[in-house]
Amino acid sequence: MKWLQFLTPVKSIAYEETREMIARAKADEITILDVRQPNEYQQSHIPGATLISLPELTDRLGELDPEKPVLVY
Amino acid sequence: MLSGKGFKQVYNVSGGIQAWQSKTAVGDQGLGLDLFAGMESAEDILKVAYSLEQGLQDFYLSMEKRAKNSRVRSLFSKLSEIEVKHQLSILAAYENLVPGKISQVEFEVMVTATAMEGGMTTDQYLDLFRPDLNSEKEVISLAMSIEAQALDLYQRAGAGMTQEASRKIIHGIANEEKAHLASLGKLMDEL
Repeated sequence: MKWLQFLTPVKSIAYEETREMIARAKADEITILDVRQPNEYQQSHIPGATLISLPELTDRLGELDPEKPVLVY
Repeated sequence: MLSGKGFKQVYNVSGGIQAWQSKTAVGDQGLGLDLFAGMESAEDILKVAYSLEQGLQDFYLSMEKRAKNSRVRSLFSKLSEIEVKHQLSILAAYENLVPGKISQVEFEVMVTATAMEGGMTTDQYLDLFRPDLNSEKEVISLAMSIEAQALDLYQRAGAGMTQEASRKIIHGIANEEKAHLASLGKLMDEL
């Protein structure tokens, strides 16, 4: 059991801060992660978001760079 | 889930997509990526990007002809000029990469416009957004939607590139789209 994952707090950020973080970062400096289902992503997503739906996330974590800030929605 | 797996900075976007008030992109993950199929070299990517910018310039010019309101017409004209600037910066990047001078006409022979920025055709965009061509706000909103779509396409294409040089080029173009999107936002605020 990895207790750390339950103990590490994840900060929530509001729209304005999110928008500013995305605007400040260059295209390859930040990961915007869409964890919804593919049909939800298809209807509308934040430009540049990577889609990995929640059920697949554990198996596909290797596709993401742990060094970059990740904005999850 | 992420924070326990070595991810150093994880942020939860409050309210998710419902709270997102800026432009969004549409379509599945593969939308428009066929334009980049088999285009792994940085030179090829520049050619595709050039053709997309050219497609968008043509779109704005055809919209300029359709619009009846003179302010909207001049706005479309300005938007098409910005695309020309993008084309020139892509051509300059190509000249940096490939030794030997190439004219814009010679370069244009090598590129083929199959779609416009964002990977969709003119009709697809008009169907999707149905803009009121008499309203400046609607026209800027349409342009912002296209830029958001373009930014999304370049970033998805960049994520699939295996060559570092190609990834850098495409991320550079994505950054230009981002700056363009921000300037359109300012223009909208001024109306």
